[in-house]
Amino acid sequence: MNAWDELVERCARRRREKIGPLSEDAYAELVLAVREDPASFVDDPTEAALLVLAQALDAYRASCRNDDLLDDAAFEAERRRRMSALRAESERAAQMAERSLDARLLALLAQDLDPDPLLGGLIELEREFGPGARPEGDAWEDVFYRPRLRLRAAVARACLDGARFKMAASASASLVDVAPRDQLGARRTFALALARLEDEKGFDALDARFDRRGDAWSHLARVILLFKLDRMSAARRALRGYEGLCEGGAYALLRPTYVEPYLPDRPETVPGSFEESMLAVREAEPIIADVPDFIGWCQGFDWLVASAERFARGRDLDW
Amino acid sequence: MAHDPKREDYQRLSLRFAQGLDGADPGVAMRAFASFGQRFAQDRDSLPQSDADRAFHLVALATEVVDYRLPFATDEQAPELIQRGKDLLDEALSLDPTCYDALRMRSSSEAPSVEARYRVLADRADEVRAYCEAARDEAASSLEGERAMLAANIAMRPYWRWLASLAEEALICGRNTVAAEVAERLLESDPTDSCDVRFTLAYALAKLEDETGLARLGERYATISPQRPANDAWMLLARAALAHKRCDLLAARDLLAKLLEAYPTGAGALVRQVELPDGEFSRLRVSPYSEDELILAVSEGIVLLQEGSDRSGRGVLGSWVAGTVASLRPEAAAEAMRDRGSEGAQKS
Repeated sequence: MNAWDELVERCARRRREKIGPLSEDAYAELVLAVREDPASFVDDPTEAALLVLAQALDAYRASCRNDDLLDDAAFEAERRRRMSALRAESERAAQMAERSLDARLLALLAQDLDPDPLLGGLIELEREFGPGARPEGDAWEDVFYRPRLRLRAAVARACLDGARFKMAASASASLVDVAPRDQLGARRTFALALARLEDEKGFDALDARFDRRGDAWSHLARVILLFKLDRMSAARRALRGYEGLCEGGAYALLRPTYVEPYLPDRPETVPGSFEESMLAVREAEPIIADVPDFIGWCQGFDWLVASAERFARGRDLDW
Repeated sequence: MAHDPKREDYQRLSLRFAQGLDGADPGVAMRAFASFGQRFAQDRDSLPQSDADRAFHLVALATEVVDYRLPFATDEQAPELIQRGKDLLDEALSLDPTCYDALRMRSSSEAPSVEARYRVLADRADEVRAYCEAARDEAASSLEGERAMLAANIAMRPYWRWLASLAEEALICGRNTVAAEVAERLLESDPTDSCDVRFTLAYALAKLEDETGLARLGERYATISPQRPANDAWMLLARAALAHKRCDLLAARDLLAKLLEAYPTGAGALVRQVELPDGEFSRLRVSPYSEDELILAVSEGIVLLQEGSDRSGRGVLGSWVAGTVASLRPEAAAEAMRDRGSEGAQKS
């Protein structure tokens, strides 16, 4: 979530509503002015809350940068500290504006709950805030509607983590329906859920819907799907594809690492990057665990292991 | 009903014995048959039998050792029992290389992973089918009446057990579509489901979150197993899993209550959720609605219970089931938790 960008856009739109119609150029001027000093344009409690969230997220992300230097115990303590700081700030923001769904969502996610209680909380939020008036066109374009989309995406991920795959699929499907350009990457959760449900038709339809562009999630999901369907030569080819198309894909799969919880959504990444491979493997974890010999089968391919090792050497990572 | 190799051994020899009496004087035949039971128990070698019959007898002995004694053996006794089981199966295979029960049990104990076990079963299923069907056709053409039916049924059993094992392995491997397909293939070949593969099928459908398929399976019970309604632990647990997955917790809780009604002493098993090794010959023989049956169903149900990233280590459904059973049957659950705690203390 880019809270600053959204804050700017929200403030500019509210200001425009107040002062009446503006030419495109004038609106662009206004946006520049807001960007310069967003705080001075905040005149609604929801934006005031968003300002607090933007600052809290900056502080949270900044504190993640020193993790590499910490040992396990210090890392765990630091993780707890920054999560509870973020939670406290989110709760403060939620008190400033009770209709700030983002604040409520972050406060919930920062509790780092197990899938079941998390999903319970998310569904509670969906009930409380209702579906809202669905904007025309791609719902993402309406900055005031985005918190609802983020909530839905969190529901989909909590369902995937909690072994509710049909629900994960339907929540993701509803997202790609209302926001077809899918800036939140619901198609990724969707692809993993379909792989776990062994729904090859659905998986193929989803792939086609996004012009078969593919990413770490869909490449990995395809390998798992074909493995589950016992189409082993096809699974092997798909594994080759995953290894070739996703940077550090082999390493991410064979040496999975801890990934911070998504607060409030999946971090922005460079397409095809190692970071994407890591995130995809982390998200696929519950469905990989359900295929007990999957990793063993992957390890049986020398080229995959060699690729992982090469990547580790190149990046100076443990192997 | 699970398969009973001792009973099957008896059936095989009595069938052959009866064939040998054909054409004899009825009085002589009658007297001879009266002595069969005693000879079977005490002087088995004096009875007419083929190498295949002898091999199957060894399978029955091996089953006794690996499925019914090994689970209760101490760590000191275990290696000897495992070796004895292997030796019996090897001997069976040396007598009859097409003793598919022995082959299945032997390769299962040798396979280094569930994947390898699955692979052997999947790759050779057609071969086993062709062999058993040929044996069945021969039995049907050389015998008449009830004997022909029994012989045909016996001829097919190794294939049925093969498919039942394959369905279970597929489920363990996370290949739920395959598990469901194999179970259907078995039901087609053995419509009265002597292997109770519909239990495995219920779990596969729950894993696929196929509500319609599971509901239809419930309806099919009337023809598959008219004697036993669809309230076995597998079916109820599969339905509870689906209700839990769609967040219908009231319905899921209701199904757990039904499960405890059908298995009144089962609360402990549902709280402990112990995973046991599957029977090598077939699913272990236990009484319907006994606590043991529930223990088996829970053990096979680990694939459903332990899914999801739940930090308790029990899985999302597993935690919920343990917690809900504890609220439905607090005393039994507390006792089970104490047992669980002391087991953990002993291990560490």
